[in-house]
Amino acid sequence: MSGRVRESKGLWADAWLRLKQDRLAMVCLGLVVLFTILGLYGEAVHQYHAWNDLTPHYQQTDLASAYQAPSWGHWMGTDGLGRDVMARLVQGVRIAFKVGIITSLIAIPIGVMLGCLAGFFGGRVDDFIVWFYSTVASMPGLLFILAIAMVVPDRGLLGVYLGIGLTTWVGLCRLVRAEVMKHKEQPYVQAARALGIGPGRIMFKHILPNIFHIVIVTFTLRFPAAVGTEVIMSYLGIGVQDEPSWGIMIDAARMRLWQGMWWEMTFVTVALFLLVLAFNLLGDALRDALDPRLSE
Amino acid sequence: MIRWFYGSGGEGKRVLALLSCLLLWGCGERTEDVRDEVVSFSQTSRIRGLDPAVSGEVSSSMAISKIYEGLLQYDYLARPYEVIPLLAEAMPTVSEDGLVYTFRLRRGIYFQDDACFEGGKGRELTAEDFVYSIKRVADVKNSSSGFWAFNNRIVGLNEFHDRSKEPAATDYDAEVAGLRALDRYMLRIELTEPYPQLLYILTMHYSYAVPREAVEWYGRQFVNHPVGTGPYRLVKWRRNSRIEFERNPKWAETGRVELYPTEARGNEVDPKLLEDGGKQLPFIDRIVQYVIDDSTTSWMMFLSGQLGVSAISRDNWDAVITPDKALTDELGEKEIKLVSSPTLNLFYMGFNWDDPVLGEGATEAQRLQNRKLRQALSCAFDFEQLNAFMNQRLHPIGGPIPQPLTGSLSEASPYSFNLEQAEALLAEAGYPGGIDPATGRRLEITIELGSASGNARQMMELMADMFRKINVVLKPSFNTWPAFIEKMNRRQAQLFQLGWVADYPDAENFLQLFYSKNESPGPNHSNYRNEAFDRLYEQIRTMPISDERTALVEEMAAIIVEDCPWIFLYQPMQFGLVQQWVKNYVPHAFPYGMGKYRGVDVRERAKWVGENGSGGLDMGGAF
Repeated sequence: MSGRVRESKGLWADAWLRLKQDRLAMVCLGLVVLFTILGLYGEAVHQYHAWNDLTPHYQQTDLASAYQAPSWGHWMGTDGLGRDVMARLVQGVRIAFKVGIITSLIAIPIGVMLGCLAGFFGGRVDDFIVWFYSTVASMPGLLFILAIAMVVPDRGLLGVYLGIGLTTWVGLCRLVRAEVMKHKEQPYVQAARALGIGPGRIMFKHILPNIFHIVIVTFTLRFPAAVGTEVIMSYLGIGVQDEPSWGIMIDAARMRLWQGMWWEMTFVTVALFLLVLAFNLLGDALRDALDPRLSE
Repeated sequence: MIRWFYGSGGEGKRVLALLSCLLLWGCGERTEDVRDEVVSFSQTSRIRGLDPAVSGEVSSSMAISKIYEGLLQYDYLARPYEVIPLLAEAMPTVSEDGLVYTFRLRRGIYFQDDACFEGGKGRELTAEDFVYSIKRVADVKNSSSGFWAFNNRIVGLNEFHDRSKEPAATDYDAEVAGLRALDRYMLRIELTEPYPQLLYILTMHYSYAVPREAVEWYGRQFVNHPVGTGPYRLVKWRRNSRIEFERNPKWAETGRVELYPTEARGNEVDPKLLEDGGKQLPFIDRIVQYVIDDSTTSWMMFLSGQLGVSAISRDNWDAVITPDKALTDELGEKEIKLVSSPTLNLFYMGFNWDDPVLGEGATEAQRLQNRKLRQALSCAFDFEQLNAFMNQRLHPIGGPIPQPLTGSLSEASPYSFNLEQAEALLAEAGYPGGIDPATGRRLEITIELGSASGNARQMMELMADMFRKINVVLKPSFNTWPAFIEKMNRRQAQLFQLGWVADYPDAENFLQLFYSKNESPGPNHSNYRNEAFDRLYEQIRTMPISDERTALVEEMAAIIVEDCPWIFLYQPMQFGLVQQWVKNYVPHAFPYGMGKYRGVDVRERAKWVGENGSGGLDMGGAF
């Protein structure tokens, strides 16, 4: 018998070890961190100007320097109103992160809450919730989002948050429901029941921590989807209004593309591509790391 | 009161943004030899309906005026714009007091053959048709967009309008005293007060002759089944996609003579335009129009020879036009022609007179302050910047009347771009340095817009930056067109951007936008109120054109400039490109019914498509 007991590691530490071995995932994590820093920087710049009642430089026009190709002065060139594309791109990161995070804060609680209730109580509650999310899911996603965004007074980010947030919780809800059903029959839940612990406490104190990796993975995977949707909405003119969203930048850039003014379109699409790719790959890697059974 | 808008939305035609005006060029032609016909392929924007009494926006009006006709029309070539007879034999005789207009109709004008007529054969046009058609515009049940044109003008018509509000079916046999057919070919119109603009009104599609049989036969479907006397008849209409017209065979059958003008009065035109003088109209056998929403698509179609006429969108501009406003060599070599003309459109930012900060103001001191603030904002508007952004396609305007109408201001407004003056006025208005004393932060103004297109957005970013220079924050609020109209009608906007397209070439058409009785939901969306101005307006409204009237008009314009209910933005220029095979193309501010003068050289076109076209894009045989 070996005298040494292998140091036990928690789920998270274990997952981190596994994740560290995946080089691609680490590169993606680096990218995500980089984007996060850019987003925070963008927010700081934005807040600074709002606080001091100033118009930020990325909103100030200068027609004399419109459509300049990338140079040392403007690394990513300037747009049709002479504004620095890079400064606006960074603001686009800020908007993208805001949308990704806030819509998650709306969608994930709804999905988790309804999923837990349905999975744990079963019966009529389950029937109702399944009926409800099936109804929501049966509506074409983008149209539903546009409809919500249209009824929100004063177009802008609020409509985007609500539109995306209120329509994208179904997948998570299904996962959580199934997982809770599985856990409900496990001995530790039975034990908790036998001790007379109330259903709320069992659901959120006992079961939820055990299925929380699902939430994490869902967050990383839905984040780029939300950003993509926001870009589409802004591109169509029903999303962000007077701030430099990527969708607005793409819309503005597309008209001059055929004249060879490639920089705005290129850098914005590359940024969008990298963000979506990084989050998706990271999400996949996280799923493998947090739920090793899947990869076996 | 034609208000012309961005795209084709809205209950009228209100120009909202910049490029939409170029849709007027949408009479582009592309031809092809099909069954030995001269076919023209062109672009249109969305058409809502083909009922002359009901439909309102530009694209519908253009289509309606191919099929229907009125008593009068604008001369195609004469400038300044001149009204000449069409279905009337001559210009009307007008009584001494200017109240009674008597028209004699041309004989031998027939409606097209249609199932609604006895035996399916089109019958002859009579004066009774005009009586009926104008009554239809006044009928509340038709919710016509054109009742304004006759409102309070014709004796007895408003009573008819009121009676039609009752639930029972409107009685079209009821007499309207001021609207009578004296005999088969004589029409008498009696006015309540002199209205010299009536002649312009009678060229508009609201006054076109509609056969009663067709309205009763088709009922609600009449909007899809036009039956007119015009040069073309409808073949097939697929909403929001494609519409096809063909030469009205009734013209040849009844031997109707309609000739191309032989002179261009007051207008120096290319002699080529007069080559067809005296020839029988129309020249084109078949017109096929497509709805093409994307400007890049239509541009590519123009280059490949599928459209004969193209607008020049802002983004194509510098690829097409050199800085001194000539065509680039590449296009010049291909013998593409550049046509430009000023438009009778005016774009403005209107202040809501109800707004406590920007409007009239409650007390005398407040009034003075608010006016100074409006003047300051007007001084902050940098026309040159906007013009640079719009590729120098705008004409500056300092007052409410566009050039070249009588009464347009010859000198620059005292409140045109001047930052120092703007800052001084802003301080006098109680906002020193742009700081709003109520909040301690920069003054914030919200502007309502009826479009969220990329162009509208970029223009607003530019405007916001102009105001930033005097430390005022401009917050754009982008609406859908219906939501925008709703806000206007409820007087909820603080500041808004709109445009106005002249209905007829007279200053009165623009001055009515400041008449207090026309306030929202009427065309005075600023809800401007000024008793002195109202009195003057009532005076000029009934005056015939004279120097005395011009003096009053100038006085009124000066009141508006001083009071600043609008920031006058610009008067757009129209630029278009025309392929060499398109014949007799002349821009016209009132292009309705002008399609009959246009021609196409089928062989030239085929050659071009052979050299430049690509089969893949060809929509000729589509649908």
